Amino acid sequence: MAKVIVKDLHKSYGDNEVLKGLNLEVQENEVVCMIGPSGSGKSTFLRCLNDLEVPTQGQVIVNGHDLSDKATNINLVRENIGMVFQHFNLFPHLSVLQNVTLAPVELKKETQAQAEKTALELLETVGLSDKANAMPKSLSGGQKQRVAIARALAMHPQIMLFDEPTSALDPEMVGDVLDVMKKLAAQGMTMIVVTHEMGFAKEVADRVVFMADGLIQENGKPEDVFEHPKSPRLQDFLQKVINV
Amino acid sequence: MKKWQVAVVMLLAALGSWFAVGTQAQAKTYTIATDTTFAPFEFQAKGGKYKGIDIDILKAISKKENFNYKLKAISFGAAVQQLSANQVDGVIAGMNVTDERKKTFDFSNAYYTSGVVMAVAKDSNVKKFSQLRGKTVALKTGTAGSAYAKSIQNKYGFKIKYFNDSNNMYNDVKVGNSVACFEDYPVMSYGIKNGIALKIVSKQYDAGDYGFAVKKGKNAELLKKFNAGLKAIKADGTYDKIINKYLKSDQASLTGETAKSRTFVGLFTQNIGTIGTGLWMTLELTVISIILATILGLALGVLGVMPGKVGPAISSTIIYIFRGMPLMVLAFFIYIGFPDLIGHGFKIPAFIAGMITLMLNEGAYTGAFVKGGFAAVDEGQMEAARSLGLPYWTAMRKVIMPQGIRIMIPSFINQFIITLKDTSILSVIGIVELTQTGTLIIARNFEGFKIWLMIAIIYLIIITLLTWLSNWVQRRIN
Ligand SMILES: Nc1ncnc2c1ncn2[C@@H]1O[C@H](COP(=O)(O)OP(=O)(O)O)[C@@H](O)[C@H]1O
Ligand SMILES: [Mg+2]
Repeated sequence: MAKVIVKDLHKSYGDNEVLKGLNLEVQENEVVCMIGPSGSGKSTFLRCLNDLEVPTQGQVIVNGHDLSDKATNINLVRENIGMVFQHFNLFPHLSVLQNVTLAPVELKKETQAQAEKTALELLETVGLSDKANAMPKSLSGGQKQRVAIARALAMHPQIMLFDEPTSALDPEMVGDVLDVMKKLAAQGMTMIVVTHEMGFAKEVADRVVFMADGLIQENGKPEDVFEHPKSPRLQDFLQKVINV
Repeated sequence: MKKWQVAVVMLLAALGSWFAVGTQAQAKTYTIATDTTFAPFEFQAKGGKYKGIDIDILKAISKKENFNYKLKAISFGAAVQQLSANQVDGVIAGMNVTDERKKTFDFSNAYYTSGVVMAVAKDSNVKKFSQLRGKTVALKTGTAGSAYAKSIQNKYGFKIKYFNDSNNMYNDVKVGNSVACFEDYPVMSYGIKNGIALKIVSKQYDAGDYGFAVKKGKNAELLKKFNAGLKAIKADGTYDKIINKYLKSDQASLTGETAKSRTFVGLFTQNIGTIGTGLWMTLELTVISIILATILGLALGVLGVMPGKVGPAISSTIIYIFRGMPLMVLAFFIYIGFPDLIGHGFKIPAFIAGMITLMLNEGAYTGAFVKGGFAAVDEGQMEAARSLGLPYWTAMRKVIMPQGIRIMIPSFINQFIITLKDTSILSVIGIVELTQTGTLIIARNFEGFKIWLMIAIIYLIIITLLTWLSNWVQRRIN
């Protein structure tokens, strides 16, 4: 069964319909990259997948749990679906290590000692074992984002959502973060990544989804989407991105 | 239970037992209210004991008639209100027997007869009522002097300014803000004899009787005893002795003040005991109120940022009500209005009423900035916490509150200082805190400037210490 199933997803803010009926399935171990112009609803879509936004209509099924079902415990669903934000959202009052151990310890997934051990391993994976006791404000953007990834991984999620994880970074920091994400993909993590990094999408994605005007316009293998765009909308978008 | 939980439970238990004691009916001991500053009828002598014609007469009568009483010195207005609200059994406070008052109270036979005089500053040339036109006259609320002045106001066309105690009224005339005041003859002449720089320029008008009052239809027995006792002390000469003692002697022999003690340092050392008691009351009220207001404020703040509409609506309403109500109105409402509503002789001790007042008022202000502080934490923080699977309250406790509270620290410090200052307003319900202590001391020695300076300095010292402490805590937290 697919890890994520989205059926006829609609979302409106007042009169403004942002998502106008999306359908998407993401299989286990699949990496899906979402591209599209700003304001097209990519973030809104991702946030509907872990219930940070409640859809106005349609169905979202994550790991077999229907999010619109009242009986679904959303906290349990969220434990299995990690999220990484554009602006990191690290907890500024906690050290790097505490950021990573907070959820597993509070949710009694692991003891403090176990959680710290896991956290140190994760920090090692993202290349920040020496920053365990640093405070977030002393880190660079790239380092913060890697801590945020480690924090999400600490709950051992089966799915990871990334919302433009490198957009707020200085160019020289982008590579480190993308490397971590590539490593994750290679380990078989199911990932949905909203990104403007076309190189990353070409190299890592199993599928690329192009969103515009609240709808999925194209959905296919990277080479098809990038080399043979069908819609003028996508051709236009790629033109602009490549020219930048 | 954690340590702080134990502390809260103990605090609540202590308050509860206090309440219980306060509400118990005490057999055979009457509570009799008097004014705080109405020399020579009542005033606080050095060491905090009350003296005066009323006090001595009451004492002599109680001895003759064998009853126990507890004296409660509060402002005249509060005494009258409490008597009508059945919170005290009787009032003896140089109170004129009037037809108006007879509707609410039963009075004893007159124990003194006195008329109203007009007094002006020593160097004033005002002699006649006709010279008052267009000027301001100082009056003390609820007195015979005030009633008389009101009755001639239209005829002579003067403006009126009301005061809650005699001393402030005298001072207003002395410094020239008002041109005259109207006061009972014995009160005025006693004050002038003791150094008030005013002079009496009229004869006595509207001579009226002073009576001891009980609530209409209540405490008939007490009234009977008072009348019998009064007759007895008049017969055996005790009454005359008391009157002469106060109207024919100078203040020094009554209050123990001497000329030497009139320097700043002298006044301070003479009154250090009284001031210390007031200061202690102020600190006690401040600390307890700060703790309670902080708990209430945090609760209101958390409620105010809860998802959904109900929590925020409740929070806003409570904040709206208690922030909008003047502290003094709230204090009167809780101390006098609320027991009146409940009836059955229900009483709230002044200290508890004061504490609840401060808790609600300061708690509402605290709630408003706590809400603001939580709202100021970046939305992404809550989202990140929730996306990890943390439930709302855990996210609140572990992520939002620690950050929000850091933002609020300066507001908390500010609120602590305001709370300290606001305790002074509670003197209106008879709590003898630092400010009221000042009023009481000045009522007997008339050293307004030096005593207020002393009180002001003490407030500044505590506020400075409080600020230092807060800054230290702030540094520790950051
Ligand atoms: N909380 C919100 N309230 C109202 N409008 C919103 C909200 N969040 C997003 N939108 C609107 O939805 C549209 C899509 O936003 P978003 O999903 O952030 O687009 P993208 O991530 O593709 O740039 C935008 O027009 C944005 O203004
Ligand atoms: Mg976006």
